[in-house]
Amino acid sequence: MPLWWPLLVASLLFAIGVYGVLVRRNAVLVLMGVELMLNAVNINFVAFDAQLRDVLHGGQTFALFIIVIAAAEIGLALAIVLLVFRTHGHIEVDDLRELADRDVGDLDKLDHPGERLDHPGRVS
Amino acid sequence: MTPSTGSGTGWVEAVFLLLSLVALGSALLVVTASNMVHAALWLVVTLGSVAGIYLVLAAEFVAWVQVLIYVGAVVVLLLFALMLTRAPTGRQDDLDARRALPAAAVAVLVAALLGATVVAGFHDVRIDLDDAVVGSAETTGTTVFTMWVLPFEVLSVLLLAALVGAIVLSRLRTDGET
Amino acid sequence: MNEVVLAVLAVPFATALVTVLIGHHSTGAAKGISVGGSAIGLVLAWALALAHLGAAEPFSRVFASTDGIAPPIELAAYVDPLCAAMLLLATTVAFLVQVYSLGYLEHDPRYPSYTALVSLFTGAMVTVVTADDLWMLLVGWELMGACSYFLIAHHWELADARAGAVKAFLITRTADLGLLFAIFVLGQRFGSYRISTIMAAIVDGALPRDELWLPALLVAVAVMGKSAQVPFHTWLPDAMPGPTPISALIHAATMVAAGVFLVARMYPLFLSAPSALTLLAGVAAVTMFLAALYALVSSDLKRVLAWSTVSQLAYMFGALAAGAWSAAVLHLMAHGAFKALLFLAAGSVVHAVGGSTSMDAMGGLRDKVPDTFVTMTIGFAALAGVVPLVGFFTKDAVIHAAYEEAAHGRLVWPWVAWLLLASMVLTAVLTVAYSMRAWLLVFFGDAPRGAVEVHDAPAVMRVPLVLLAIPTALGGLVLIVPGILGPDRDENLFHASTSVLMTVLVVASGTVVVWLWSRRGREMWGRVSVPHPPIDVVYERALVRPVHGLAALVRAGDRDVIDAYADGAAASTRGVGWLFRRAQNGSVQGYLMVVVVGAAAIAVAAGVLA
Repeated sequence: MPLWWPLLVASLLFAIGVYGVLVRRNAVLVLMGVELMLNAVNINFVAFDAQLRDVLHGGQTFALFIIVIAAAEIGLALAIVLLVFRTHGHIEVDDLRELADRDVGDLDKLDHPGERLDHPGRVS
Repeated sequence: MTPSTGSGTGWVEAVFLLLSLVALGSALLVVTASNMVHAALWLVVTLGSVAGIYLVLAAEFVAWVQVLIYVGAVVVLLLFALMLTRAPTGRQDDLDARRALPAAAVAVLVAALLGATVVAGFHDVRIDLDDAVVGSAETTGTTVFTMWVLPFEVLSVLLLAALVGAIVLSRLRTDGET
Repeated sequence: MNEVVLAVLAVPFATALVTVLIGHHSTGAAKGISVGGSAIGLVLAWALALAHLGAAEPFSRVFASTDGIAPPIELAAYVDPLCAAMLLLATTVAFLVQVYSLGYLEHDPRYPSYTALVSLFTGAMVTVVTADDLWMLLVGWELMGACSYFLIAHHWELADARAGAVKAFLITRTADLGLLFAIFVLGQRFGSYRISTIMAAIVDGALPRDELWLPALLVAVAVMGKSAQVPFHTWLPDAMPGPTPISALIHAATMVAAGVFLVARMYPLFLSAPSALTLLAGVAAVTMFLAALYALVSSDLKRVLAWSTVSQLAYMFGALAAGAWSAAVLHLMAHGAFKALLFLAAGSVVHAVGGSTSMDAMGGLRDKVPDTFVTMTIGFAALAGVVPLVGFFTKDAVIHAAYEEAAHGRLVWPWVAWLLLASMVLTAVLTVAYSMRAWLLVFFGDAPRGAVEVHDAPAVMRVPLVLLAIPTALGGLVLIVPGILGPDRDENLFHASTSVLMTVLVVASGTVVVWLWSRRGREMWGRVSVPHPPIDVVYERALVRPVHGLAALVRAGDRDVIDAYADGAAASTRGVGWLFRRAQNGSVQGYLMVVVVGAAAIAVAAGVLA
């Protein structure tokens, strides 16, 4: 088959994964988008491996490695997601803005230094 | 390259097309589904289709590892996470942020860029699958444990680190909880 | 003689400098240095003055001169009988004031700076009277004004002392602009800044009448300010919060008399521009009567004396306007002696009653402060013009001169001359009235209820009183000796007809006052108040408010325009920061979108460029 077929599929799958990462509000759904992107990359590797007939079988080996890394990553990512859920009570990515740059004046409004400004009502 | 021998090759391409369509369609449903659990299940379909694509592309071992790890473990993990974070089941209308249109535009941009690049770059290159070396367990194992053994070892350390990290994170207690 | 003149000029300044340097370490050293320096200056001045009093040939010498500019500015001295007389007056009163202050400011912690300023003032006064160069005179003139400012505000913790000092300085300083511009005009007209040269040129030049009206008018304005004539008269009574020895030295005997001295010194200029003399005559006529009225109704002893000074200065200006140069100068000398005596005696009285200057706190003091009583009586009598004290001779000479001018003279416009004469006579009557009133209120009658324990002044304060009483009592004999002011000033100053008339008026006025005292007691004519012409209101509206407005404008400009730039820089920085902070809103997906688009853009750019 023409090489560009699987490559195109991978590109489209990657784009769909990007859309999923950017638009979803739940952290788990965002991670699903990440998985899609990783799979697209894998298709790319495997396609090139088939075309080049590499003696080292680099493409397929790399695809394996990527699967391993993806598994490790999703394990840690979900641990973090669970921790976020424990501290904030939700995993809406839009509402996790503690790393935002705040105006100096707003700091006066904080009663406790560890308090959050985004959801003053929710206490840890 | 030996010329393609006829209908056998045609079948492979047809199967590939079918699998691609399934993969892309279910991927679209993953990112647009209104039900979180449905999204996870569509993800299963996508990953399965991708495994099929690997099989078509003569990457046997990778395909089965994909099914095992991705479909078997990762999706299960995602479902567990959905459960532990008390994800509301049933149809939700607010799963997408209000920036859907700009995000879609960005995605289309990425698709266009990447697609144009690959098509322009490789439009006259063919994969010859008749004489392909099938990536069987034997060949893959030989290559990994002889030529790729160092990255393999590093990966196992990585997995150990991830394991430890996940355990540490899950044992963290915030103030006020037992 | 050169050395003596230079020494007379230099010793007071040197004394002031040494007092400042050493005096702050030891008050005793300050006392010794200042009194000693003043004594040395006194001896030198007497030596110089006695050599030139009545002399025909004045001493004139240029000590230094600038080279680069034309006409040159010089350090030039001119000692003629007028200068000699003023030197005697100034240094003697200054010395007596220094001695008096030893007692009056015994417990004052600011004594060293006070006495240094008095020495500095003495030096400035000596500079003014010996100066032959107009700029040198101006320097001494302004320096006197500055010393006056500092000394009035000696008790700067009192608000009215500060206010009085500023008012005195500003009013006299503003009027001094007249002198400054007069110097410019004269320098340009005559090509020289030397007074002797200019006066000789005027006398020899036979100029048309009133050609020099402008410089004469300008000088007249300046002396009106310095000598507190209407409309610049409001500063002198407000300068009374200063220590009493200062009031004696500066605001009675010397600084305010410098105005009269200047007119006398530049008399040829005024003679050639009689319109200025007319102005002076008119102003003097109004001032002497008005000031006498204020003195009549004031209940503060020092204020009575201050208004009295204004009134007597107007007498001197009136005499000058009437062409009686000698009478004016001699009255200046006499006034210096008895007014200084009166102020120092008033200081002794104030010291005795514990610090209050109001006559309501005084009464029946004649047994308790006998030396002061005697000397002050002599002073008041001289002021009133009682024969045979010095005031009698000089005042009568002035009145006679005014009569001569009104009847036969050609200097001043006729109706102004008659006005002047009438004012002088009326004022003489009022002078007797207020002098007697003050004398009776302070020394006779009953002590006021709640009076404090009265104690007499220390000897160091009483001795100057006695020393001043001597010329007050006997000065008349000296002054009617003709020729004391120079060989061409030897007119007869004693006119029997005028003297008899004035004596009759004095006696009549005194009798009326005593009668009112015996009938009504202390409230002889009730508590009337003389309305003030709204001079201060005019100052307030015309000068003070616009300056305040300007200051507010400047402050607003600084705050809203200049500070706005500084604040604006900070605000704009903060605004830019706010703007950029929009990009750091904490939304990870937003960041990702930017990253992806950025990467795509770089890819496209790379593709396009490659």
